[in-house]
Amino acid sequence: MNKKVMMMGIIVVAIIAGIAASVSSPPSETVNLDMGRAHGTIITAMGSPILGNPDAPITIVEFGDYQCHQCYNWFHNTKPAIEQQYIESGKVNLVFVDLAFLGKDSPIAAQASYCAEDQKMYWEYHDLLYTLQESKIDSGWANSERLKAFAFSLGLDVELFESCLDSGKYSKRVSFNTQQAKDQGVRGTPGFFIVNSDGQQQISGAQPFSVFKQILDPLI
Amino acid sequence: MIHTIKLVFSNSKYLVLSSAIFVVMMIGLLIMSEYIFLEPYVVSHIPSGTELGFVLIVIISALSALVLPMNIFRINILKSSKQKMGGGVFGSIIGAAAGACSCGPIGFAVISTFGSVGATATAFLTNYEIPIRIVAIAILSITYFTTVKSLKVECKINS
Repeated sequence: MNKKVMMMGIIVVAIIAGIAASVSSPPSETVNLDMGRAHGTIITAMGSPILGNPDAPITIVEFGDYQCHQCYNWFHNTKPAIEQQYIESGKVNLVFVDLAFLGKDSPIAAQASYCAEDQKMYWEYHDLLYTLQESKIDSGWANSERLKAFAFSLGLDVELFESCLDSGKYSKRVSFNTQQAKDQGVRGTPGFFIVNSDGQQQISGAQPFSVFKQILDPLI
Repeated sequence: MIHTIKLVFSNSKYLVLSSAIFVVMMIGLLIMSEYIFLEPYVVSHIPSGTELGFVLIVIISALSALVLPMNIFRINILKSSKQKMGGGVFGSIIGAAAGACSCGPIGFAVISTFGSVGATATAFLTNYEIPIRIVAIAILSITYFTTVKSLKVECKINS
């Protein structure tokens, strides 16, 4: 009886110790990707998580740079209406793919967004970067320290975020995305592809909502 | 001043040239700065927060359309030196270059071709787009007033 109680005690202690160890050690930094994901001819596996209904019949693939002021214009002037009228209703979803070419801080900012994705906060971080974007390229608003401060302000695990960003864990992912943009013939940011089962249509630049509406409505 | 403008633009050749410069320059700059899109539909819009940039483009185009034909008139009709022409051309070029190198195709091509040097140049032209355009307007304005003054003097001498 005593032996049984002792064995049970050891098992319970081992389980508690295991749980405690898993909680105290940092979560693994494994990449959470659907490696086969593609929209039309575009490989989006290395891009953002899908915003909206993953089964939506239409996908908008946006190629952008966090330091691009035209991307900022599109984010503030056109995207809200698209989200409200098409994404929230489940008719359309959106994927962001980096074309980080404007300055030395552009790829770092893109990498930071994936470090936030590790903590399931990709879109919150993405939105924060476009909300806090300053008009000058490489002025320091998107340097490593500021990116870490943004993570802190969102309530992310800063230690984990820093280890991710400082290690350059996602540099190849961002490079892949930038190359993917070039392969698709994107020659500036923002660049868009409207993709459905019948094909894909390219839109270049921070075009107004009316243009997206004219293209999306006949497809729905 | 009005007399001088009338003198130059009473010749329809210079009026046509001025109109052509204004239309081509303004539409070109508006396309480069993404106020006008040609594909997939022809559409124009002024995003909120970019109104000043739009106004500066219109002013640069108007001043270029005024200054360049007046200087060509000076050179052709009065056989004057080409010195002041340089100010007008220079002002027009830097005014145009300010907005061209941004996140659009021209900036992308410059960075792809020239690497970090191109990126630095593009960043400079983008970061200081508004001040550069204001400097371009100042250069064009100075060139305009000196051209008018010079035309007054030269016309009196020639007449």
